[in-house]
Amino acid sequence: MKNNYSRLKWVALIIIGGILFFLASAANAATTAPLPLQQQEISGVVQDQNGIPIPGVTVTVKNTDRGTITNLDGEYNITAPANGILVFSYIGYKTVEILVDNNEEISIQLEEDVSALGEVKINAGYYNTTRRESTGNISRVTAEEIENQPVVSPIQALQGRMAGVEIISGGANPGGAPTIRIRGTNSLRSEGNYPLYIIDGVPVSSVPVESNSVLSNSGIDPLNNLNPANIESVEVLKDADATAIYGSRGANGVVLITTKNGSNRGLEARIYTGSSSIAEKLDLLNTPQYLQVRREAFQNDGVEPDNFNAYDLVLWDQERYTDWQDLFFGGQAEVTNASLAISGGEGNTTYRIGGSVFSQGTIYPGDYDYRKGTSNLALNHLSKDNLFEVKLHVNYGIDQNNLTGTNGLNPANILLPPNAPSVFNDDGSLNWEDWSEAGLSNPMEGYFNTTSTQTRNLNANLVLSYEIVSGLRLKSSFGYANFTSDELWKLPIRSYAPASNPVNRSSHLSTNRKSWIIEPQLTYDQNFGKLETHFLIGGTLQKNGSDRSSFQGQGYASESLIGDLGSAESIINASSGQAEYKYVALFSRIGLNWDQKYFLNLTGRRDGSSRFGTNNRFASFGAIGAAWILSEESFFGKVDSFLSFAKLRGSYGSTGNDQIGDYGYLDAYQATVGPGGLYPVALANPDYSWEVNKKLELATELGFLKDKLNIGVSWYRNRSSNQLVGYSLPYIAGFNSVQANLPATVQNKGLEIELATINFSNDRFSWRTNLNLSFPENKLLRYPDIDQSSYSNTYRVGEPLNIALLYDYTGLDPETGLYTVRDVNDDGNLSFEDQIITKNLNREFFGGLSNSLRYGNFNLEFLLQYVKQEGRLSEFQAGTNSNVLDVALGNEDFQRYSASYEASIAFIDAVNSDFSFTDASFLRLKTLSMGYNLPMRWTKRLHADQIRLFIHGQNLLTWTPYEGLDPELPTSAISMGNLRSVTAGLQLNF
Amino acid sequence: MKKYSYTYQFIILLVACLFYSCEEMVDLDPPANQLVRQEVFKSEATVESAMTGIYYQLFQLEYSNGGRSSITTMAGLSADNIQTISTGNVSRMQFQEHEIDPDNIENLSIWSSAYNMIYAVNSFLEGLQNADNLEQSFKNQMEGQARFVRAFTYFYLTNLYGDVPLILKTDYRENQLASRTSQIDIYDQILADLIMAEEQVPEEYWNTERTSINKQVVRAFLSRVYLYSENWQEAEKFSSLVINDTGNYGLLEDLDEVFLANSAEAIWQISPIGAGGLSTQTNEGNFQIIDPIFSFFAAIKLEEPFIAEFDSIDKRFQNWVGYNEALDAHYVHKYKVRLSNQFPIEEYSMVLRLGEQYLIRAESRLEQGDLAGALQDVDEIRLRSGLQPFAEIKPEISEMELFEEILLQRRKELFSEWGHRWFDLKRTGQAGQVLGEDPSWNTTDLLYPIPESERKKNPNLTQNEGY
Repeated sequence: MKNNYSRLKWVALIIIGGILFFLASAANAATTAPLPLQQQEISGVVQDQNGIPIPGVTVTVKNTDRGTITNLDGEYNITAPANGILVFSYIGYKTVEILVDNNEEISIQLEEDVSALGEVKINAGYYNTTRRESTGNISRVTAEEIENQPVVSPIQALQGRMAGVEIISGGANPGGAPTIRIRGTNSLRSEGNYPLYIIDGVPVSSVPVESNSVLSNSGIDPLNNLNPANIESVEVLKDADATAIYGSRGANGVVLITTKNGSNRGLEARIYTGSSSIAEKLDLLNTPQYLQVRREAFQNDGVEPDNFNAYDLVLWDQERYTDWQDLFFGGQAEVTNASLAISGGEGNTTYRIGGSVFSQGTIYPGDYDYRKGTSNLALNHLSKDNLFEVKLHVNYGIDQNNLTGTNGLNPANILLPPNAPSVFNDDGSLNWEDWSEAGLSNPMEGYFNTTSTQTRNLNANLVLSYEIVSGLRLKSSFGYANFTSDELWKLPIRSYAPASNPVNRSSHLSTNRKSWIIEPQLTYDQNFGKLETHFLIGGTLQKNGSDRSSFQGQGYASESLIGDLGSAESIINASSGQAEYKYVALFSRIGLNWDQKYFLNLTGRRDGSSRFGTNNRFASFGAIGAAWILSEESFFGKVDSFLSFAKLRGSYGSTGNDQIGDYGYLDAYQATVGPGGLYPVALANPDYSWEVNKKLELATELGFLKDKLNIGVSWYRNRSSNQLVGYSLPYIAGFNSVQANLPATVQNKGLEIELATINFSNDRFSWRTNLNLSFPENKLLRYPDIDQSSYSNTYRVGEPLNIALLYDYTGLDPETGLYTVRDVNDDGNLSFEDQIITKNLNREFFGGLSNSLRYGNFNLEFLLQYVKQEGRLSEFQAGTNSNVLDVALGNEDFQRYSASYEASIAFIDAVNSDFSFTDASFLRLKTLSMGYNLPMRWTKRLHADQIRLFIHGQNLLTWTPYEGLDPELPTSAISMGNLRSVTAGLQLNF
Repeated sequence: MKKYSYTYQFIILLVACLFYSCEEMVDLDPPANQLVRQEVFKSEATVESAMTGIYYQLFQLEYSNGGRSSITTMAGLSADNIQTISTGNVSRMQFQEHEIDPDNIENLSIWSSAYNMIYAVNSFLEGLQNADNLEQSFKNQMEGQARFVRAFTYFYLTNLYGDVPLILKTDYRENQLASRTSQIDIYDQILADLIMAEEQVPEEYWNTERTSINKQVVRAFLSRVYLYSENWQEAEKFSSLVINDTGNYGLLEDLDEVFLANSAEAIWQISPIGAGGLSTQTNEGNFQIIDPIFSFFAAIKLEEPFIAEFDSIDKRFQNWVGYNEALDAHYVHKYKVRLSNQFPIEEYSMVLRLGEQYLIRAESRLEQGDLAGALQDVDEIRLRSGLQPFAEIKPEISEMELFEEILLQRRKELFSEWGHRWFDLKRTGQAGQVLGEDPSWNTTDLLYPIPESERKKNPNLTQNEGY
């Protein structure tokens, strides 16, 4: 086995050697190159029709990656071949192409173009395209939309902004990983639905990082250490045309994150501060209401309250009232961010260096916080002869997350009886006596526990490229990513009841993920008359390694020593694990374009992944995409005042999914917790293979009224077959799952509508609107012999995967006053056979509406997010010893107040019926930001280019009929997600 | 054109090397913390580790760990020795009230953990079978121990659930759709495994600790299996073999010493080392003992009618029953250590002990008409408990009376150990009479329900009557 690995190294060396050989030989050739390759320096000024300089115009040399941006005075400098073509583009203006023709100065005036489509370059991963020419479906979010959002994870900042992209918050704690789904759930395993994340060309694992802290449910987001303000753009690739070039990893979509480079020269500083708090509060019973309900419950049950069954009525203070929500989750989480970036350069070399600090508190009582520091470097260099190019992007971030180490700060504690005794004694220690009187443990057991998690993330990418002859370019990308996480969980004695004989303990967890990737590529661009061609061929060599280790220390002599392993009496429960993943691929693309009217894009990839058994490691994927710009046809000329742009496009192809645990094909034993034992890990299946996802898309893009109104409508249908799952088994097989391909097809179908309008635009006032709407539909299409399979009672053919099978609620029993559900088969028992109602738990549709207004120096932007869905609510079991939503008070739809066993059973049945479902749709003012640019005369006095003040609000308002804390997580009233934040800040550009 | 040819060379090179060595480029070694099964069965040391792993997991798996979800607790609640303190825990209440819902999670955890152990044993046996380079005598010793654990686990499964799937291989493709095998066939398999094991396992304990399987462990368990199958002769024979091994086993005078690690009365115990050393108390000790001050941790107590059965001079009442004033409750106090992280480990979880062997022999002698012999065995237990022997106070005891006395002694001797009382009530047909006062009692309550989620996944699993 070792031999094979060293062969891998050899292959890598051969490829690198090959590249160097090429560079050398081609450089040799370049010296003797003919005149047309002669490069020259060109400068000039770009102005608008009124002669006012336009800063920020992108100037590129056509068919190259080379480009620059005009400065504040509209000036630019660029080196280009004497016979090259310069392309000037800027949002809101028509793109202009000018032949260099040996000119050393080219100054132009750009014509305003009210088209919202623009000609902005879109990153498609291995190549670039434009919105106009694209044959695939790529959504894009740019820096302005994310840079000021006070969120830890950049993914969270994308919420509501893209059609077909569903993002759900990772909870109220800073650093939790949000859930992201691109065009629905393709796989039956939640871990099989992560998209592929690529930062500056380097794939990073999108799987949340393991944690023992309160983030253990969501996991830690591996993108936390990126600075949202350093992101240039995020592109999401959705259809087959865009994703097939990622082969076996493209099934769930691809998220491309591009960090900023050095094209804006100058210094950029930004600072904001503000605070976050929980957005909503539940309406719960107060003490008199609660106690009244309890008394009535005992009356109804005909039971005498006593110390055991009714300590809240008999033992506890009848006057006391604690607002548990306020006590546990009522805090203000301060948030502060400061970032600084310097860009500059001379001639052919540009750079950008930046750094940022971010800190956020928590809503809990106690001293917890999240802090991160990031730094980034981007270097671009072009050789004198303009043929050789080097690009380097390095991002490094460290964060420190100090959080509570107890589940006591768990939303369920909101429902403690409002007259329960204090959880603390006067001296701040935990109160055990009052609770133990009632036979209870203090619900805040573990309160003094803390976790501190430090993660470090390095992401580096180097791209070398060399133009061998005009149009033919050899390029190689080298990437390295390293992510480490170290967590210390302290469990001091004072967190626990003295009776449990506690000792000072610590729990340690470290994880490390490393990956390198080498991707040599050759591109060839050539025009033959009206035919424009783009060729790409490349290879990928990738290796990921991950390891984790965990252990516990105990018996520290004092609390302050916890974590110092030398002071631990013993170290126990040590465990470690490693996993490796190797991946090779060959990919290619052919892009054809006839007369700017007809576009054809062919992409393909052959992949090999180590995650599969030896017989099933390789597979091929590919896609075809085509587009036709109707409005370029001559017959269109007449109508062009109304319909100014029309494009039809479609794509079909296949992608794969290899996201399943490593080594699933091994029949392996691993160490037991006890010393020196071995025990089987899991069931082994040597034969499982790829999951295949076939994607079909048809779309049209239309521009009206000189492109002031643009509408894009895409219809897609993705079918995932050969489902790769932890195949569910009865326990009699030893374990309840095995990795296997499922003979089933899951379909995600839907409609996405994107609308962009320029409602008004002139020098002083402009107003733009963007709307995105998604109507997803998920369905289990086929499952041969489902009745004979272990899924016979989990899924239904023809229904979505994410369903609840429920009892049929039949109202209150007139005699007992308790809930009843239908015993369908009349066997006198309720069982799965009686769960005949299927409830779709997916979102019916969702969308976002953003408006951006500018008046003079003021601007206002806001995003409204809408989701239509149903959710579950079950916090209404009035009469038991836990608080309930106040809708339960005297509500005739609910069963009588009762603390009895029968009532609990009836309640559980009702929760498992359609009764517990309610409309959980919501409309949310997701972000609102206002900014003011100080007038030029003031900024000039301060020698600044721009001074900007802004305030930003996040989750300010939510309209919903749902009674829970956050309708974004409508699984129960007490699930907490988004915080409401308000921040204000200042941005300075010099 | 020269440049182009370089380009083609490069492409060819790239394609060639990708295709040539692709296969190997995605080959991986197994991770360092795992061993492929074939590797495990290549050396004696790793095979011993795998057997040790099985013993350790007995302390971890729910059905056998003696803790809150174990057979000891759940079958205990179904009988009349122990009860829950509060009515709050619905799944536990269902066992006590004989109203077990098929989706009760405790019921599922007993079932699933037992079958997980059966998988581990089957995997171990298959591995051994293919281990050609190991000594046959070594393989036999290992095989016997594993077979014993399988028989032991099936014994509890069939006594709790009746007919159960008989899984003897590891292939999940077959196992996942297995239907239930009749109790008779399950018993045949148990006996086949035990008889084989008795030949194969060593005379001595593996490492001087009473935590591995030797011949006497197998015999002690065989005597129980024969007792349950009413094969009195064999039951007497095997219990005698153990009782007569006085060099190794004896009843202890001091009842506080019975449950200590490697006590003279212990035939087979499970060591808390299986939990990795974080805590070293037994799960029984942790769950059954009520802390004198902080009683809110307590979940179960002894039933008062059972306490009333004890003579106040009975040492089992004095030494094995505790009393908590705050709750006014008697609790199980056989194990003395509620919490510990000390080494050496003080107490091990008792599975088989000599006391039971005397009572098995008493019953099987009585059933064969040997009243005197039976009386003698019962008196061994009475004497050790500080009670007067029947031979003195009631020498003319009738057969019927003696049978009742044996059952009573079993109840007092073995309470809160591995569900003895529940199984005794069932096998002697007294369950209805003893538990029938409970209005929710049905004769179908004698068998626990097949877990609902298992039936969802395996359409061939039928449900027991009454569920």
